[in-house]
Amino acid sequence: MIRNVSKLLKHTKGQKSKKEEINQAASKPQDPLYPNFNDNVEALRSIYKDCSDVIFRSFSLFGKTRAIVIYMEGLSDVQSLEEYVFTPLTKESTDPPSSLSDFLVHQLPVAKVTKIHLLADCIESISTGNPVLLCEGQSSAFSLGLAKSENRSIEEPMAESSIKGPRQGFIESLQVNISLLRKIIKTPAFKMRSLKIGTHTQTTVTLAYIEGLADPTLIEEAQNRLNGIDIDGVLESEYIEELIEDNPYSPFPQILSTERPDVVCANLLEGRIAILVDGTPFTLIAPVSFASLLQSQEDFYQRSIISTMIRWMRFFFLGVALLFPALYVAVTTFHQEMLPTALLLSIASSRENVPFPAIVEVLIMEIAFEALREAGIRLPRQIGSAVSIVGALVIGQASVEAGLVSAPMVIVVALTGVASFMMPRYITGISIRMLRFPLIILGGTLGLLGVVMGFIAIVIHLCTLRSFGEPYLAPVAPLQTKELKDFLWRSPLWMMNRRPHLTGDYNEHRQSSHLSPNPKAGGEAKNRQE
Amino acid sequence: MEKGKISSLQMAMILYPAVVATAILLVPSLTAQYAKQDLWISPMLASIVGFVTIFIAVRLHQLYPGKNIFQIIEETIGRLPGKLAGLLILFFYIEITGEMTRGYGSFIVNTFLKQTPLVVTIASMVFLCAFAVYGGIEVLARAAQFFFPLFFIPFLFLVLLLSPYFQVHYIEPVLADGWVPVIKGAVVPSGWFAELFLIVFFLPYLTDKGKAMKYGILTVAGIGITLVTANLTALFVLGPTLPTKVYALMNASHYISYADFFENLESVTMAIWIIGAFVKISAFYYVIVLGIAQWLNLSDYRPLIWPIGILIVEFGYWSLPSSIELARFESRIFPFYSLLMQTTLLIIIFVIASVRKKGRKKLGLSE
Repeated sequence: MIRNVSKLLKHTKGQKSKKEEINQAASKPQDPLYPNFNDNVEALRSIYKDCSDVIFRSFSLFGKTRAIVIYMEGLSDVQSLEEYVFTPLTKESTDPPSSLSDFLVHQLPVAKVTKIHLLADCIESISTGNPVLLCEGQSSAFSLGLAKSENRSIEEPMAESSIKGPRQGFIESLQVNISLLRKIIKTPAFKMRSLKIGTHTQTTVTLAYIEGLADPTLIEEAQNRLNGIDIDGVLESEYIEELIEDNPYSPFPQILSTERPDVVCANLLEGRIAILVDGTPFTLIAPVSFASLLQSQEDFYQRSIISTMIRWMRFFFLGVALLFPALYVAVTTFHQEMLPTALLLSIASSRENVPFPAIVEVLIMEIAFEALREAGIRLPRQIGSAVSIVGALVIGQASVEAGLVSAPMVIVVALTGVASFMMPRYITGISIRMLRFPLIILGGTLGLLGVVMGFIAIVIHLCTLRSFGEPYLAPVAPLQTKELKDFLWRSPLWMMNRRPHLTGDYNEHRQSSHLSPNPKAGGEAKNRQE
Repeated sequence: MEKGKISSLQMAMILYPAVVATAILLVPSLTAQYAKQDLWISPMLASIVGFVTIFIAVRLHQLYPGKNIFQIIEETIGRLPGKLAGLLILFFYIEITGEMTRGYGSFIVNTFLKQTPLVVTIASMVFLCAFAVYGGIEVLARAAQFFFPLFFIPFLFLVLLLSPYFQVHYIEPVLADGWVPVIKGAVVPSGWFAELFLIVFFLPYLTDKGKAMKYGILTVAGIGITLVTANLTALFVLGPTLPTKVYALMNASHYISYADFFENLESVTMAIWIIGAFVKISAFYYVIVLGIAQWLNLSDYRPLIWPIGILIVEFGYWSLPSSIELARFESRIFPFYSLLMQTTLLIIIFVIASVRKKGRKKLGLSE
């Protein structure tokens, strides 16, 4: 199977590399700078015509040579520019340096000065916030590393909070996000490849992996898929995700997105790759399986027995979120004999005055619930509480009292809603909630038969899915016995000696194999004897 | 054609429900009609057919490694007779899959959804199976693997939950009428064991061919044990009334009642059984479309899926006038038909093939 995958990967390579060449040729005109200072300034002025935020600041270098600094207001650090560039350079000195270019590159007190020769590079430098210095008599320009950006401070991730574990979340700046990762993984084997995607946004997208852990074919495949993207703009990592995933029509996410640096690092250490996108706190991780969407970072920050129990709860509530309303409809409509008499009577008496059949009732309530959830997210926080009051009182209590909906139905819907929020990844919860509706309709038309058939259809779909070549239902189907230890239960850390096997080659050993804490064999016993 | 590969374990997990799914429903009462209280011995005797089928199929594949069954048949008995034999096998499979879906559909309609038209149950199931077949052998294997515990564990629970109602004395007297009724009773389940012929279609796609024999034998043993357990459970719970029930285990599950809450679990049994039926029908369906593509030397089997699906629905809907006819077919015709078209055919081909190979070796010809 793995062989097929790598064949498949190889197959797509040839077609994409051509496109990449074309791409690069189109976005980077290889026009060198003009030898004449005035021509260059004129060229840049015409390019930045009607751009009121671009500042052209002329001055005379050491009181002799004409020079100009071009930068974008707000993207460059004006104070440093003043202090470390204009102050030393405008000083009228009697003996100007023999080689101006050497002086600028080596003696200017700015962290990074790069010599650039192309017009396109000048534009790129200006638009990323690095001022460009042009001076008379020089055929090249100088890019001054004085970019500055306004970031929000590093906060606790909003969408994935946890009780135990690190509280840092990614922010909208790629540099900061990379530094957060680098703070955790310090080995030089942690590699990053950057590329610019988006004709107009020129968003930096970084592919991160650990050399020796990630399968080279996987890295190459990801690189190829990224190179194949030709799009106007990238505003969020979802743009990238939708353009590189294996099956775009599936309701299930085949790439994980997270805003937690610790989750990204854990996945990198398991041999996966991460794709960081500038301008969004969400980082993509691939390949993932369905199992990893059901895991939370906190599973590994807690005692293994507790994590195992929570994992089992999650499996159970996954079933509840998907099947419970459908089963309720099927049983109350077609298989009443399954219910014990007392329960059947109490359901029947509460349904007595309800004018709708169970399926209509459940659909009304589920849609109302989804509407409330969506309304609650989009609204400002102050109004959000009003929505929940309306939801609880009007939709819940009042509709039961008015006899429009039966009380057991409200319980079913509420429990299903809570169950779907049990999923540690928000996106998984949504796909499960969405699939609930066809199952309810099947349950209302064909009873248990319909529910089972719907379930079978979902499983077949999951069996066909792959994420970057990795079967989506692994390690259950295809069965990988060694990896069940991190799926069915969460083994203690000292038992997880082997890295999970994704595609192709992999680095098998994760840690030394004698880590089991054992006071008899360890240092404690020795100390006592002494 | 088919580029996917599966493991021997996955193959076993396809074959087990492919035989057990319908057998578990019908075999207890069908064997009881002949063997009475000795019905538990019959599946053991019948499993010999299973062992022989698996053994010969694997040996035949070793004689002609990498070739599909139609190529093997054509090489052994000649091109035209080989094509005819292939057509017979394919026709048999289309017909038998039709009967199978009919059995499934009438079971659902007779016991649970009494107002649902038969064709709806049959067509919806075939549609679902087409979806799985479309994914190819890997998807089929993964689905079978995922469903295996969902099918197997509830069966164990059924036996466990029924155990308080066991009346073990129903088993006596053992072999009161001698061996003849037991052997008669064994004919019916042997028809099901002959269905292990399916293995010949999966063998060329195994990643670990060395383990094929081991897992094949394990499958037969597993099926044998399951059927003996099912027969004994039905006998211990229902006793002498067993032959009169059509779906014996389903009736037995009615007895379960715990804590005034777990009662009337027939619907649950049905839901679980549907999963088994799904694996069974899609395995046969897959074998049909793959077989036709191999027989006609087509490059892809996927265009055949919808036409064959319609054919299966038609065979299921029109080939039998009533449930009584279906029951008669299942007890009187199916065992012999199945044995003839699968195990017997396989034995004949194997004998011819091995004689030919030996003859060539004696003549010193290279293959």
